[in-house]
Amino acid sequence: MASRRRMLLKVIILGDSGVGKTSLMNQYVNRKFSNQYKATIGADFLTKEVQFEDRLFTLQIWDTAGQERFQSLGVAFYRGADCCVLVHDVNVMKSFDSLNNWREEFLIQASPADPENFPFVVLGNKVDVDGGNSRVVSEKKAKAWCASKGNIPYFETSAKEGLNVEAAFECIARNALKNEPEEEIYLPDTIDVANARQQKSSGCEC
Amino acid sequence: MHETDIHDLSDDADYAAASSKYCWTMWSLFVKLLRLDVLRLGPNPAGLLGSSSMTRNDSSKRSSSSDPEDAEVVYLKDNVTIHPTQYASERVSGRLRLIKQGSSLFMTWIPYKGQGSNARLSERDKNLYTIKAVPFSEIQSICRHSPTIGWQYVIVVLSSGLAFPSLYFYSGGVREFLATVKQHVHIVRSSENANVFLVNNFEDPLQRTLSSLELPRSLANGTPSSSFRGSSSDGNQETQEDSVSSVQRNNRQRQKSHDPARDLSIQVLEKFSLVTRFARETTSQLFRESLVDGHGPTEKRKNNWASKENQHQEAALNDVETVPDLVPVAPDPLEFDKLTLVWGQPRQHPLGPEEWSTFLDSEGRVVDPNALKKRIFYGGVEHNLRKEVWPFLLGYYAYESTYAERQYAVSVKKLEYKTIKNQWQSISPEQGKRFTKFRERKGLIEKDVVRTDRSLSFYEGDDNPNVRLMHDILLTYSFYNFDLGYCQGMSDLLSPLLFILRDESEAFWCFVSLMERLGPNFNRDQNGMHAQLFALSKLVELLDSPLHNYFKQNDCLNYFFCFRWILIQFKRQKRSENLLREFEYDKTLRLWEVLWTHYPSEHLHLYVCIAILKRHRVKIMGEQMDFDTLLKFINELSGQIDLDPVLRDAEALCVCAGENGAASIPRGLHLRCPSRMAPCTNSKTTRCCEK
Repeated sequence: MASRRRMLLKVIILGDSGVGKTSLMNQYVNRKFSNQYKATIGADFLTKEVQFEDRLFTLQIWDTAGQERFQSLGVAFYRGADCCVLVHDVNVMKSFDSLNNWREEFLIQASPADPENFPFVVLGNKVDVDGGNSRVVSEKKAKAWCASKGNIPYFETSAKEGLNVEAAFECIARNALKNEPEEEIYLPDTIDVANARQQKSSGCEC
Repeated sequence: MHETDIHDLSDDADYAAASSKYCWTMWSLFVKLLRLDVLRLGPNPAGLLGSSSMTRNDSSKRSSSSDPEDAEVVYLKDNVTIHPTQYASERVSGRLRLIKQGSSLFMTWIPYKGQGSNARLSERDKNLYTIKAVPFSEIQSICRHSPTIGWQYVIVVLSSGLAFPSLYFYSGGVREFLATVKQHVHIVRSSENANVFLVNNFEDPLQRTLSSLELPRSLANGTPSSSFRGSSSDGNQETQEDSVSSVQRNNRQRQKSHDPARDLSIQVLEKFSLVTRFARETTSQLFRESLVDGHGPTEKRKNNWASKENQHQEAALNDVETVPDLVPVAPDPLEFDKLTLVWGQPRQHPLGPEEWSTFLDSEGRVVDPNALKKRIFYGGVEHNLRKEVWPFLLGYYAYESTYAERQYAVSVKKLEYKTIKNQWQSISPEQGKRFTKFRERKGLIEKDVVRTDRSLSFYEGDDNPNVRLMHDILLTYSFYNFDLGYCQGMSDLLSPLLFILRDESEAFWCFVSLMERLGPNFNRDQNGMHAQLFALSKLVELLDSPLHNYFKQNDCLNYFFCFRWILIQFKRQKRSENLLREFEYDKTLRLWEVLWTHYPSEHLHLYVCIAILKRHRVKIMGEQMDFDTLLKFINELSGQIDLDPVLRDAEALCVCAGENGAASIPRGLHLRCPSRMAPCTNSKTTRCCEK
């Protein structure tokens, strides 16, 4: 039994329908890819244990419905988020154009304490498609947008091939961690009541 | 004016903007506030009502005076009407007033009493909508709508995130209304939308949201009394004055720390408590009466005997729930297992072709639709017969139609389908370039159909023609109902219909019928789902108050963890690695056909939710599940539902809730089974079942 409290880091993945949110999450957590995910209805999450500098964290990754119509549900799922991942499909311009809307909607609904400095990470997914020939959102364009929003870290990923997914989520976890520095509370073995609840959510990984 | 009947807010961009940005941001806060208030007061909200009842005494003294503390009506408009449903007969007209008292402005809307056209609504229903003196300090924005056809209306959004029903100004006066408001309170036009007027918008929305969380810790614990509740059902002028003064009194009490959300939560709590109180009283009464009326002494004995016999079975079913080191859990107030045995009747084998023929006369009419629905409710339909029976259940075939009439109607409908389908098929690529909405819809549908039930042999494989059909039907539907369009989840509802009916036009029209019932759940502003979840929370409060309190304490009162259940009707959302077994699919089909009977209630799906929650209540509360864990747990349960016992439980719960259950469900959720083909008496028969 670890003698320190395991921290829960909550990450929300947002982006238009079909950009690969569920796939990215599954690739990262289960190292699996499938062509047959279902459209996500409502929301769901997966958890993964991560270790940084000798400390263990539980990364709770929330996958949400991508249709605009469901944005209003966000409020129930966004609260307490430590990092928000904005995903677009580099082959679909509209999914990139929507990033701004997703970001603003998130800030309104999650109401983070410090919206100016809330950590976002942007992922340009599906770079594998058609050998890059059908690509419409250039890296330069995506990076320029990220820079204009307070230097959001940007990654080009392929959930299908597992390209850059690990690196992206490591960055996501680090940024999430930065968001709550005060929570580094060390607890002795004996008082582990608070811990029990957090570990439980890590237990239902599937 | 017919247009306004079907005018729905779902496609109203400015409403959607206003509601999604503000209402929903605030909704969870509202739930939080509600919870905080309850915590402060303890489990019995009577304390809250106490202060109101004291003011009632005050006001009754004052009511003789012509000038109650300088209250002045600064605006009055008659024939301001709400449309709780899309049916003209259910509109409620009333009088809208702005009342100035001291430096505060209040808004009231009181429905007229005994109005002819309101015959369908009971007085109690009407009073649900009464707006009792809302101070403008609690109003966040007013959205004005001027549809090209129909009446101007406004939507008043509270800072808690709730919105009152749209107020239609039948006799004009929206401009005057806004002008009067402007004279007395600070309003500004939203920079994003000229039809949205922000009230009290001093800070930016983020700050406001945060500050509204910091609630003052002051609340009077008055003497418990229920007299205020009695008066509120009068729904006349006296009520309105009552509440003005009660609000005002609260204002006085809290002048130091202004708390705009509290009064609202008082009102809501009042409604909650109203439901619970008479639920408790009448449920127990109902229980006694039903035993006496419905079952003779012998039957009672039989049931007792049956209960013993079935206890083992029940215990076995509950095995899932026996988890070590659980926190002690409050017992189920309904002694649920016993109730199930009293009311939940044994399930039967599915309806087969031979028995089906006994329901039809020589020309193919269903002689007794209620008997048929009841039969299907208790047993479902054999797989091969579904193709024939489902169109009746969905309201696509009229029960009283003959074979010949149906055959004719089907061919007519086929042509009609082709016509609608041609609307999008004839869009040229050039035209498509200039038709963003069409391209977006098509894109969304294309993305979804290729990930709907593909592990089922009917839909599997590349270039599967049935996937193509699903695409065509959904796109055609999005033209048939352009306002609603396409929404994720629809493909999940269509897939079983096409699988059973194996005909494009039939599947389309049955889907149309299904969406007549479930369409509001897909509304752009999500108000339909909001109403469903709200009704669910009220029903749980009615039927399992310890569980309700648990959800309340754990900030789960929004019931979003049941969102998926309700939206896609308990269909399992599988990850690809688990292949969808035909067996599991069949279970969904069985559940759906049972739900479609609307026997014993059109809201049976809500009772099914509760039945499942109750089966796991010990685990949920014992393991102290928080919102996240609960959501995960419930998402995983879809498709693993032990159907027959759950349906028995749901039936028992529905009977047990009785009228109080029905009263817990917002009026707008009441559905009709429309008949697409011919005039039919479905709506009547559905109502008859709802006893």
